[in-house]
Amino acid sequence: MAARAVWKGFLKFGEVTCPVGMYTAASSSERVSFNTLNRKTGNRVRREFIDGETGKPVERDDQVKGYEIENGEYLVLEPEEIAAVVPESDKTLRVQAYIPCMDIDSVYFDKPYYLTPDRMGREAFVLIRDGLRKSKTAAIAQSVLFRRMRTVLVRPHGDGLIATTLNFDYEVRNSIEAFEDVPELKIEGEMLSLAKHIIGTKKGTFDPRTFDDRYDAALAELVKAKMEGKALPKRKAVKVEKVNDLMEALRMSAGVKEDKASSKGETAKAAARKTARSTKPAPKPFSTPQRMAS
Amino acid sequence: MAVRPYWKGYLKLSLVTCPVAMSPATSESEKVRFHTLSRKSGNRVVSHYVDSVTGKEVGEEDEVKGYEKGEDHYVMLEDEELEAVALESTRTIDIDVFVARDSIEWVWLETPYYLTPNDKVGEEAFAVIRDAMEADKVVGVSRLVMGRRERAVLLEPRGKGIVVWTLRYGDEVREESSYFADMKGETSDASLMPLIQQVIKGQLKPWSPDMVADPVQASLLDIIAAKKNALKKKPAKGKSKGKATDEPVKDNVIDIMSALRKSLESKRPS
Repeated sequence: MAARAVWKGFLKFGEVTCPVGMYTAASSSERVSFNTLNRKTGNRVRREFIDGETGKPVERDDQVKGYEIENGEYLVLEPEEIAAVVPESDKTLRVQAYIPCMDIDSVYFDKPYYLTPDRMGREAFVLIRDGLRKSKTAAIAQSVLFRRMRTVLVRPHGDGLIATTLNFDYEVRNSIEAFEDVPELKIEGEMLSLAKHIIGTKKGTFDPRTFDDRYDAALAELVKAKMEGKALPKRKAVKVEKVNDLMEALRMSAGVKEDKASSKGETAKAAARKTARSTKPAPKPFSTPQRMAS
Repeated sequence: MAVRPYWKGYLKLSLVTCPVAMSPATSESEKVRFHTLSRKSGNRVVSHYVDSVTGKEVGEEDEVKGYEKGEDHYVMLEDEELEAVALESTRTIDIDVFVARDSIEWVWLETPYYLTPNDKVGEEAFAVIRDAMEADKVVGVSRLVMGRRERAVLLEPRGKGIVVWTLRYGDEVREESSYFADMKGETSDASLMPLIQQVIKGQLKPWSPDMVADPVQASLLDIIAAKKNALKKKPAKGKSKGKATDEPVKDNVIDIMSALRKSLESKRPS
C-alpha cells in the first residue's frame, strides 16, 4: 500500500486503545471544462485580492481575519490566536457513543477515510469492527483532526472500518424545515400501484464505477458546430402534464414499459446509452424554443 | 469557497414530468463570521478578476467562458449557447434505474441537495414518484449536469421531499482492498464478543445534532467578547480600524489563550 496516512493515532473505545492510521478514501477531482477569459483580449483571467478602499493588491501575509463589532469597526484576530483556540491534538479518536445504523442521518456526512490498525492493534480492531456489525451500530468519536475539532462516524466496511467526518450542526440545513412548504399529498390506489409497477420495470443495479461523464464530449460537439458556423440546436421545451393528465401519463408509462420486456435489470450505463442516442443534436435547429418555467 | 448551484429543472419518471427546484443541504457558513481585512489599512479585502497578461481589471460584463481547443487557443462560449449542449441531463433528472437503498455504499455519496416541487402543476407527480420509491424501499439513480460536469445522482425519498446526492466518479474512490488486505481472514475472539456488545449497549444513544456541535466556535466567541471588553477599558484613541493589534490587548489575549486551553482540557471527556 503506497498511500500515506493523513492521520495516525489511537482509536479508543472504553478502556481499549487501538493504534490506527487514517487514509483518504475519496478525493474530488478538479475537472475543468472551461476557463474564464477576458472578452476584450481573449486572455485568461486570474483572481486578485485588493484593498476595498484603495484598490491596491493585498498579499496573503497581509490578510487577517476581522470580526465586525459595530458598523465598520472590526476586531482583528491573528492566525495564531485562532489556531490557539483549537485544542491540542492528543492523537486519540475517542468513542463517545454508539448509535443505531438506522438512525444515521447521511446528510451530515463530510469526507470518508479508511481506518487500518497497526499490527499490535489488530485484535482490538476486529473486535470493534465485528461488534459494531453484530449490534448494527456505528460509533461516534471525536478528535482534533486537521487542526479542527471533528466528530467522526466509525462503521464497519468490508474487512475494515471507515471513519466519516461529520459536518457541524450549523452547516447542515434541517430537512424537515427544507421540505416544510411541500404540500401534504397522500398518494394511494391506482396511482401508487401504477408508479410502483413502472419502478418495478426499471429495477436493476448501479455501479458508480461504470458511470461516464458525457459533458466534455457534448461540449466538444457544440464547439465544433460553432466553429463550423453551424446553427446551434435549440433546446426542446419540456412538456409538463396538467393534473388530470397525470393518471393518463402513469397508465401510458406502465403500458409502454410492459412492451419493453428487455428493460428489466438494465444498468444505468445501458439506459444512458439510450439517452445519449436520442439526444444527439439535430442537423437543423429545433422549432421555436420556449422559455423554461423558472 | 465552493459555489453550490441553486438549480431549477424537471424530475422525470418515464412519461411523468414535474418541475422541481434543488438547493444545497449543507452550507459553508460559520457560526462566527469573519471578514478578511488588510493588516496595513484595516480595510475590507475584496477580490476581482484581472487579465492574466495585462494585469488590468476585468469587469463582470467582460467575463466569458473559454473552451480550450488547443495550446492557448480558446473558443468563447456565451451562457445561452451552453444551454444548447445536447444533454437532456442539463435540465432534466430522468430516473434511469431503481436500486435497493443499501446497494450503493455510503463512500460513494458526495454532496446532498434538497429537491422540492417548483410548481403547483407538478406537486402530485412529485408525490407519486416519491411515495412509490418509499413504498418499494428503493432509491433512484439518474444523471445530472452540475458544475460543468455530468454527475451520477441518487434520489432518496425523505419525509415530504427527496434528497438528491451527487455520486463520486469511479476514479475518485480508492479501492478498499489494498488498505484492508492485512485484515482479510482476521476474526474476532468469540469470547470477547459478549463483552463488546455490553460496552456498546452501555453507551447506546439516539442520534442528535448535539453530537456535531463545534466547541471551537464557542471559544472564538469568548475571545472576541474578551477583546471587546479590553477595548472598552482602554482610553479611546479614535475610530480607526485594526486597533486590536495594540500592545495591552495582546497581553490580554495571551492570558485568555491559556485560560481557554485549560478549560478545554477539563471539558474533554475522559
